[in-house]
This record gives sequence, structure tokens and C-alpha cells, in this order.
Amino acid sequence: MKSTAMSTKVYKVVSVTAIVILAVLFAFPLYWIVTGSFKTAQEINATSPAWWPSEWVLTNYEKLFSKQVAPLFSITVPFTDITFAGPQVPAAIRWLVNTVFMAVAAMGLTCATAAMAGYALAKKRFFGRTVVFTMIVCAMALPKQVILIPLLREMSALKLYNTLWAVILPIVGWPFGVFLIKQFAEGIPGEMMEAARIDGASEWKTFSHVALPMIKPGIGALAIFTFINSWNDYFMQLIMLTSTETSTISLGIANMQAENSTDFGLIMAGAALAAIPIIIVFLIFQKYFTKGITMGAVKG
Amino acid sequence: MRLRKGLAVALTGAMAVSAFAGSVAAEEATEITLWTYPIGSWGDAATVEGLLASFNEAHPDITVKVEYLDYTNGDDKINTAIEGGQAPDLVMEGPERLVANWGAKGLMVDLADLWTDEAKEAIYDSVEAACQNNEGVFYEYPLCMTAHTMAINRDVFEAADALQYLDEETRTWTTENFIKAVEAVYASGQENVAAVYCGGQGGDQGTRALVNNLYGGTFTNAEHTEYTADSEENIKALELLAGMEGINFDASLQGADEINLFCNGTLAMAFCWNIAQEKNNVENIAFDVLPMAFPTETGEPQLCGGIWGFGIFDNGDEAKIEAAKTFIDFMANDEKQVVESVKASSYWPVKDLGNIYEGDEMMTEYSTFVQYMGDYYQVVGGWAEARTAWWNMLQQIGSGAEVSEAVATFTETANAAASAK
Amino acid sequence: MSNRSRALARRETMAGYAFLLPSLIFFVGFVIYPMIQCVYTSFFDSTMGREDIFVGFKNYVDLAKDEIFWGALKNTVVIVIVSVPVTCIFSLWVSSVIYNMKGPACSAFRCIFYLPVVTGSVAVAVVWKWMFNNYYGIFNYVGKGVGLLDKNINWLGDERFALGCIILILLTTSVGQPIVLYVSALNNVDQSLVEAAQVDGANKFQCFWKIKWPQIMPTTLYVLVITTINSFQCFALIQLLTSGGPNHSTDTIMYYIYYSAFKLYKYGYGNAMGVVLAVIIAVLSAVQFKLAKTD
Repeated sequence: MKSTAMSTKVYKVVSVTAIVILAVLFAFPLYWIVTGSFKTAQEINATSPAWWPSEWVLTNYEKLFSKQVAPLFSITVPFTDITFAGPQVPAAIRWLVNTVFMAVAAMGLTCATAAMAGYALAKKRFFGRTVVFTMIVCAMALPKQVILIPLLREMSALKLYNTLWAVILPIVGWPFGVFLIKQFAEGIPGEMMEAARIDGASEWKTFSHVALPMIKPGIGALAIFTFINSWNDYFMQLIMLTSTETSTISLGIANMQAENSTDFGLIMAGAALAAIPIIIVFLIFQKYFTKGITMGAVKG
Repeated sequence: MRLRKGLAVALTGAMAVSAFAGSVAAEEATEITLWTYPIGSWGDAATVEGLLASFNEAHPDITVKVEYLDYTNGDDKINTAIEGGQAPDLVMEGPERLVANWGAKGLMVDLADLWTDEAKEAIYDSVEAACQNNEGVFYEYPLCMTAHTMAINRDVFEAADALQYLDEETRTWTTENFIKAVEAVYASGQENVAAVYCGGQGGDQGTRALVNNLYGGTFTNAEHTEYTADSEENIKALELLAGMEGINFDASLQGADEINLFCNGTLAMAFCWNIAQEKNNVENIAFDVLPMAFPTETGEPQLCGGIWGFGIFDNGDEAKIEAAKTFIDFMANDEKQVVESVKASSYWPVKDLGNIYEGDEMMTEYSTFVQYMGDYYQVVGGWAEARTAWWNMLQQIGSGAEVSEAVATFTETANAAASAK
Repeated sequence: MSNRSRALARRETMAGYAFLLPSLIFFVGFVIYPMIQCVYTSFFDSTMGREDIFVGFKNYVDLAKDEIFWGALKNTVVIVIVSVPVTCIFSLWVSSVIYNMKGPACSAFRCIFYLPVVTGSVAVAVVWKWMFNNYYGIFNYVGKGVGLLDKNINWLGDERFALGCIILILLTTSVGQPIVLYVSALNNVDQSLVEAAQVDGANKFQCFWKIKWPQIMPTTLYVLVITTINSFQCFALIQLLTSGGPNHSTDTIMYYIYYSAFKLYKYGYGNAMGVVLAVIIAVLSAVQFKLAKTD
């Protein structure tokens, strides 16, 4: 008995030490980005790593913000040439605005459509249900590269190429959300639905008043999942967006690598600018995130 | 393909409608897009804004929207934009892209009306030859040119007593002396003398020029119809490089990475070099840079030239094509403007403009190399595919493949692309 | 069937379609339709700047003969087969150590392991590129410092290591979410069952395997699904770090499709590859799902 207690203790000490070391490794990239963004060019290109900036400078951020300008936002009235543009700001700010808009729009549309569709697939019996569901399962893991060329041509034909919608719409079409919500909606007790029907509630009311509150945690989980995934969806941005005004922050950073010389300080400043907002979002919503997604997973 | 045709008809219809709607506005301003690669300061927004300001003074009816590309993603970006139906109106790059790639694919506008007799008279013959395809159709109107060189870290060479192997006056050296110099620098404790970067993307001219010069090989035949990289001279050169201590075939590096490593002193030589690199990195360099010609057996280097200018994508809009031509004409032919346009690139003009860099020491230093400029061969068809295959070949050699086999595979792939229709 | 129930059934069908419709528009419009186009174009020799030419199954025949394609397929499989179980096991292990920590420690660790996910793959790639640098990267620097390495290793430039490096980075960007999930799942395990087992003399391992594991099974399934999806999406790291090299050793099908399309201008070929990958993934997903259902 004593030896097991001993070995448990040893295991505990060893594993905690290992995890602390791993945690350092995991935190390192962000640490390096943030400190790097304040280093001088010499220090950042030095051959022996400078663990801490010997001198804190803002030049990288100054360069980032003086590089190019773009209007803060521009809204085009559909089917016309009328455009409202915001005041001129550094392009990096516009990229942030674009990225936030893209992620929020993708998140909102995905959650709205997936909530309804997942509910229908879980709780409604109708012809073609199995077919649709099978297609969803099969397409769920499909990488977007597979449909790269057709998607490009389609967006071009729809005149959506080089707009944020070209990135947003395929994210919304991706059926993982429907699958996720369906798993949650399976857990809605049939009696509750039956009770609502007997009370004479319309289909919409049954959905919005009975089903929706039950699948809320699932929607929360899907929201965060979609937000982070579209924030990081570098591939679609790379393919679909070409101009400074439509660029996103990931794309902006990737484009800073020019042939003449890669300005790592500038890239670090851009990366920090890209990472900090989303980390704040994560910290704020952390609790909700964990809670939501676990309940669904447990019910599976 | 029927579906696409149907789509095209529908689109043309839509475009006709929108053209009708837009015809009132068209009289006011034509908006064109210009995408530039980082050609000196043509990749820098502040400089280009200045150039555009003078253009708009002369032509207030044309607005130019500029996008700045890089050599890592730039090609892919234009390629996706073409497929997405939104290719830029104007693009600034060299013949290997404008003529040999997009021009050969029938996407560019014939610039015959810019190439007037007067222009042909003024522009150097070698440049004129490079800006057209084999049928004599011009897809590029050139602005500036330079010779790509290599560079050495003079401080390191001096410490290793290796300066004796090169001619600081003419900036040339023989292959034999190059080998000796690398040996001396390596022996002095510089573990990494140079890197044959083969990670891909930009900077291929440096590796090509190095290989071709060492033993006098060529990359293509004289008619620019076929790739000849599998010649004995090239194989010998690649075998030499692969076997030299201190020279790494490094697949983790791209041209830009090599420049960074040279500038921070990790490497003692850079193969991806020209005047713009030194100007751009001046703040990061803590040693004396000595630009050099590539080593040759005879001491007569054939440097790879860079020619940059404008091409126009055929987007089917006559007004935009006209506006784009006006832009080119202004930037490259207006007597006052052309000097500024060329200076922005930090390269040399493609016609005689007098000495526009009077009193600029660095420019004078680099102008030594113009005399060594070799054949501009980057106009063979299938250039983009060939470049991709070239990187693969270097990677194979780097990981120990037989040089002759790797080179044979390259030539086969490249020539297949060259003859493809 | 009575009239009433028939009316109910019809109403249910209509409602089902109505709720499904918005999602289906996007799904059909931006996944299914392009997929059909993809299949269609895969029978053509399609390139930039000229009409497509019908070539039948030629693209598929070429694919079968293309060594790079098989290499890319192998790499894709390796990435998935290595990263999915390792991610699951690693995150379960980390979670089991941190889930019952007192105070803010658990939350802090959870956050730290989530950081690479939110930092974004582009930014992460830039830093890792520096860390793996052949000449002054941190791995060589530290490795030589503590005597593990006697000379610099060209991590990303060496065929033997490049794919491993990519998988390692992929792991750091994919364990964040599973850890969050497992920590919660482990906290939700019914403690009374665990205690009862301990009274009966079960050791730690038995306790975990017999009591906890079945209870966190749904979480494991969910983790498997999202990790599989994530590892198939691994594109940015490859494009930014190795471009498929050296010597195609880090090519995946996803990257090779992009490469064929925009570096070699072989659209039909790229589409054929897409079709093959889609079929493989669809079959795998269906099988995986069937298995999970019967469990």
C-alpha cells in the first residue's frame, strides 16, 4: 500500500514537472511574438536569441501602421455602385475590422442555420432525412482544398470574388455545425415537444420556445468554434481575397514576407495585433465555452 | 465546356447591363488596378503614392488603385485572381512572368502601340528582345533593369585572407579561386560560407546564374525554345557545389531567408543579390558588403539580367486598357517622370537617360556589373512550371540524389511544359 | 391512418423541410454544387487561358502513375494517423493531471495550452520557422547548449525531419480544445462510483479504465471527430513553412491540389485529386460514424 502511494506521488511530481515544461513551450510562440514586436531590427535578426528586449522600441508598430492606408469600412448598397466609406485608417486596422466582421458574420449565419437544421434532423421525421444526414456526415471532414477551383469560379460568377462573403459563405455551408446541433437536439425530450403541440403551439414557436433553450449550450459551443476557425481560416482568405481593402489580418501578416528582406519585427507586430483581440475574447468567454461544449459532448 | 460558356453568356449579359448603368460615370473617371512586385521601392506604398500623385496631376481622369505583392505569394495571388475573374489591369514585373507565363497563356494585351519606332530606337536591343514572344508580340513595356550579382562579406573574407582570390577592381573571380576562397573562409572557422537556397518561390536567378557561370553552361538554348540545364557544364557545376564544404543545399531557405542570413552575418556570401538588397538592408548590415560577379572559368561572367516593366491584362474593357496604356506611357516615357519612376526602382533605365545617379556612390559601384549582363533567356515557354521544377531539382540534389538524374528529370519536366499548348 | 395523424405528418414534413432549407441552401450552394463541378471538371484537361478539353479518365490514370501524388497521400495519412491518437492521448493525460488542481492553476494551464489555437496558424508558423532555423534556431541552440546535438540539424530542410516538425506544430495547435473538453468531462465523472471502486480495492489504473473511461467516452468521440477534421485542414503550416518540400516530403493532398492548380496550372488534374480525396474522406467518415453508433 505504501509503495503505491509513493509511486503515485512520484508520478504526480514527474507529470506536473513535465506539464510545466510543456506549458512553457506552448506559451513560447506568443511570448516571442509579443516581445519580438518591441525589439529592434538588429536584435530580432541576431544569431543568438535575445530572450528579453534589451531596449523596447515601437518602431515595428509605427511601421505596421504607416505601411498602407484603407478606409475603416466600406458598405456597398446591393446591386448599385453606391458605397459608403469610412475615414482613412492604417490598413492593419482595416484588416482587423474585416477579420472581426468575417468571423462574426460566419458565426451568426452558421449558428442560425445550423440550429434550425440540426433541430429538424433530430426531431422531425420526413422523407430524405437520412440522405441529407448521410451527406452531412460524409462532407464534414472534407477539406476546402478539394473544391478549391470550382469554388473560385463560382464566387467569380456570383461576383463575390474578392469580397469577404466569398470566405464567409463556404464556412456557413460547411455542415459540421448541423451535425453538432443535431447531436444536442437529440437530447430534447419528446414529451416536451408533444406537450407544446397539444398546447397548440406553431412549429416555429415549438422551436423557438421549447427546442432553442435546450440546445443553447450547443449553439454557444458552435459559435466559439466557428469564430476561432474562421479567424484562422487562412486558406480561404488566401484564395478569395486580393486587395488591401478586403484583406484579413492573417493574410496581411503572410504577405509581409517579401523577397527583398523579411522584416520579422513587422511580422511580429502584425501577429501580436492579430492574436491579442482573440485571446481577450477567449478569456472573457472561457467559462461559457467550456460549459457549453461539454454538456453537448457528454450527451453525444 | 458548355456550362462555362453558358455562364460566360450570362455574365456578358450582366456586364452589358452594368456597363450601360455605368456609362454615365465612366466619363468622369476610369479606375484601374496596378499590382506591383517589390521592385526596389515600387513595393513601398509611400514612394508609389508620390509617383501616382504626379500621374494624377497630368491625368486627373484616371484613378489607379495599387496592390503590393510579394514574391512568396504574389504569383499565386495573380493566378487565383485570374481564375476568379479579377485579374489586375496593370501588373509590374519582368518578362519571365509577363511574356513567358501570362503572355504565353494569352491573357495579356499586345502592347504594339506603345512600342513605336521611336521607342524601339531608344530602348536597348537586348531589352526589346526580351519583352516580346517568339512571334514578335510585345507583352511588356520595360522601365528599368539591373544585373543580378552575388555578394560577399568583405570583413570575413579579409579575416580569412581570402581577398587575394578575387579582383576587387573588376569584381570578378575565376572558378578555381572561388573554390579556394570558400575553402579559406571555411577553414577560418566560418561554418556556413554560403547556402544554395532551394525552398522555392523567388530568387531563382541567383542559383541559376551561379550554376551556369561556374563552368560556362547555359540554362536554355540560344533560340529560347528549350531548356538545356542538363548540359555537362551544369552537371559539373552542381556536382562541385554539392560536394563543397561550407556550401549547404538548404531546402528550408528561400531567397529572402538567404538574404537575411547574409545580412546578419550567418552566411559569408549571398547568391540572391542586387543593388536593391543592399539599399533595403542598409540598416541591418554591420559589415562591408562587396558585390561580386559570379565566378567563371574564363573570368568573363554572364550575369543574369532583371528587366522590369508593365504589362496589361486583357480584362475585356477597352477604356481600362486605354487608361492603363496612358499610365505606362506616362511612367516610362514622360521625360521628367521616367527618371523618377526608374529611381524609385533603384535600378537602371532601359534606355539612355544620361547618368541619373550622379554622385551616388553605391549606384556607381554597382554600375560596374552592367557590362557583364548576359543573355536574357527567361522567356522560354512554361517558365513558371520550369521554375517549380528547378527548386525540386535543387532539393533532390541537396538530399543526396545523383546530380545527372536530377538534372535530367528537371529538363524533361521543363521541356514538356515548354512545348505544351 | 386517421386524417388527423396524416395532417400532422404532413405538417411535420413541411416543418422539417422549412427548418432545413436555409442551411441546405448554403450546403448545396457552396459544398455540393462545387463538388459536382469538381467531379465534372476532373474529366477535362483544364488550364489557364484556354478552353477545356475532354480527356475522359486520363487525369485519374495519370494520378495513379504520379509518385508525388502517392507520396502526398501517404503523408496525409501519416499526419492523420499520428496526430489524431497522439492529440487525444496527450490531451487526456494533461487533463488528468491538471483537472483536480486547486485554485486558478487548472484554469491557467488550460489557457496556456489553448494559446496556440488562438494565436493563429500564420503567426505560429512564423515563430516556429525561427525556432526550427538551421543556423540559429532555438532547437539547435538549446540542443547544442545541453549537449543533445553535436551539430546543427536542418529541421525543416531535411526530408527525415520536416514532416515530423509539421506534425509537432500541428499538435500544439490542436490540443487546446480537447484539453478544455477533457478537463470538464473528468470533473463531471460521478465521484461516488470512483470512491466505491476504491473501497473495493481497485487501483488507479483500474479505476480510470473501468469507471472514468466509459463516462468520458462521448467526449472522446467528439474529440476524435474534431481532431480528424483539423488534421485534414492542415494547409497553412505547410504552405508557410515548407511549401511541400524538401523533395515533396511534406506534400499533403490538400497542398498538392493547390500546387497543381496554381503552380502547374493543371486544374483538371487538381480536381481529380480532390475527387479521390473526397471519396476517401467520405468513406472514412461514414465508417467512423457507423462504428461510433454501434458502440
